Amino acid sequence: MGKWTTFLIIGLTLTFLIGPFFIIIAAGLSAGENLAFPPEGLSLKWYWAVFEVESFRESFALSMFLAVFGTLSALVLGVPAAYALSRYRLPFAETVKTIVAAPIIVPGIIVGLGLLRYLVIPLNFTVSMALFMAHTALVIPYAVRVVTASLENLRSDMEEAAILLGCTRFGAFVKVVLPNIRGGVLAAFILGFVTSFNQVPVSLFLSGPGVRTLPIDMLAYMEITYDPSVAALSALLAIMSVGIIFLAEKFLGFSRYV
Amino acid sequence: MLALPAVLFTATLFLLPVLVLLSEGFRVDDAWSLQGYADFISKPLNQTVFFRTLKLGFLVAGVSAVIGYATAFSIFHLPSKHRGRIFGLVVLPLMISPVARTYAWIVILGRTGIVNDAIVGLGLSDTPIRLLFTETAVFLGLLQLFMPLMIISLISAMENLPNDAVAAARVLGANWLQVFLKVILPLTKEGLVIGGTLVFTGSLTAYITPAILGGAKVLMLETLLYQRVNVANDFVSAGIIATILITMSFGSNLLFKRIATART
Repeated sequence: MGKWTTFLIIGLTLTFLIGPFFIIIAAGLSAGENLAFPPEGLSLKWYWAVFEVESFRESFALSMFLAVFGTLSALVLGVPAAYALSRYRLPFAETVKTIVAAPIIVPGIIVGLGLLRYLVIPLNFTVSMALFMAHTALVIPYAVRVVTASLENLRSDMEEAAILLGCTRFGAFVKVVLPNIRGGVLAAFILGFVTSFNQVPVSLFLSGPGVRTLPIDMLAYMEITYDPSVAALSALLAIMSVGIIFLAEKFLGFSRYV
Repeated sequence: MLALPAVLFTATLFLLPVLVLLSEGFRVDDAWSLQGYADFISKPLNQTVFFRTLKLGFLVAGVSAVIGYATAFSIFHLPSKHRGRIFGLVVLPLMISPVARTYAWIVILGRTGIVNDAIVGLGLSDTPIRLLFTETAVFLGLLQLFMPLMIISLISAMENLPNDAVAAARVLGANWLQVFLKVILPLTKEGLVIGGTLVFTGSLTAYITPAILGGAKVLMLETLLYQRVNVANDFVSAGIIATILITMSFGSNLLFKRIATART
């Protein structure tokens, strides 16, 4: 293939994949009242307006909370599981892997509905508690996968040596293993954070009146208004994700882990 | 023992409730019965939605494969220092909120969007035409959402191509079509199958794209499920749709795997 054909193909595909982001960034810059592209005049007012919407502020705080603490809980559950999978020959190892991966395989909307109808309502959980559990479970597969990969690249003789020198298994894990898989755990956290923050289907049924995650709130908001604020918010979220991934790649070499 | 907390947590929170939900499809008036399925299948709307979901899944996977091959092959032929960067740009959209990614299409396809401006400006139509809430809109949204998965799978598969296989075939007189059919396709089949499965099941089970770009006019299985529950409190249909979705995802996984191994 010629050089120009190559450039043309890559250029067209990237335009299709990435071009729309530039369009929402521009649409959010509109000075007019309606969503349009090209924008009707330029201003930052819709970008500021996003911060004035109270439901956005509340749902952003909730999404942040779920993404940070849900992912931390998923790591607390997932790291031991990853350690067991990589260091011991477990009976039913395949079954364990399948069950732990289930939250990715089963469509989210089904999970959310099942959780709501058979656990949350009968046991009277609060909406935030239900969302917290769902977001934790949702991130476990990513935590287990990324940390297992890191552990498999780490030779086990160092921890065996620590144990021979009198460390307990737990002590060896904290002092020897954990410092060596720091990068993998951090990468798992970032991947989990982004997944949790962006996720919609699982929280769809679980969200209640007044307690919504940010993406669900955006879906509700765009049904009643047609102004550029959702475009501005979408652009801000896209920029936030790109920023996180850029920093993670620069300082951590994120793509090596995922 | 160490794996137990994660397994128990996932099993109680994810597997048990889902299994109970699936069983609801087989219960009518508190008794086990297949009547729910019979009623579900007999409704024309449900049939339309089922075949539409299947059709869009195949279309998105097929078009992703064609564009994906052209793109992956082009990226693969870049000098390696550019390759990483371009690859990063292909992966990047996957980390961005699907709501944001889908909303962009409202700006592009809306009544005052860029496409309608062009159509009216060129005099192809006097008034803006409806592009949103059509199958085309949902198709474009899904294609943009899932194509990166196909490109990633194909590029990983191409890393396994022997260095000079393509050049050798060219020297021996094969044209590009023959190179593709006889060399590239057989050697990257596994990547095609993995990418195809990801794109196909992703499209079948997408919620956000049909909800935003299809609305009530272009229902797909997930949006139909949401509607049945929220509008009609109809958990029999919800259980049936859930069963269909899970069967199709797992089924396509198995089927594609078999296709991949059959011809070698």
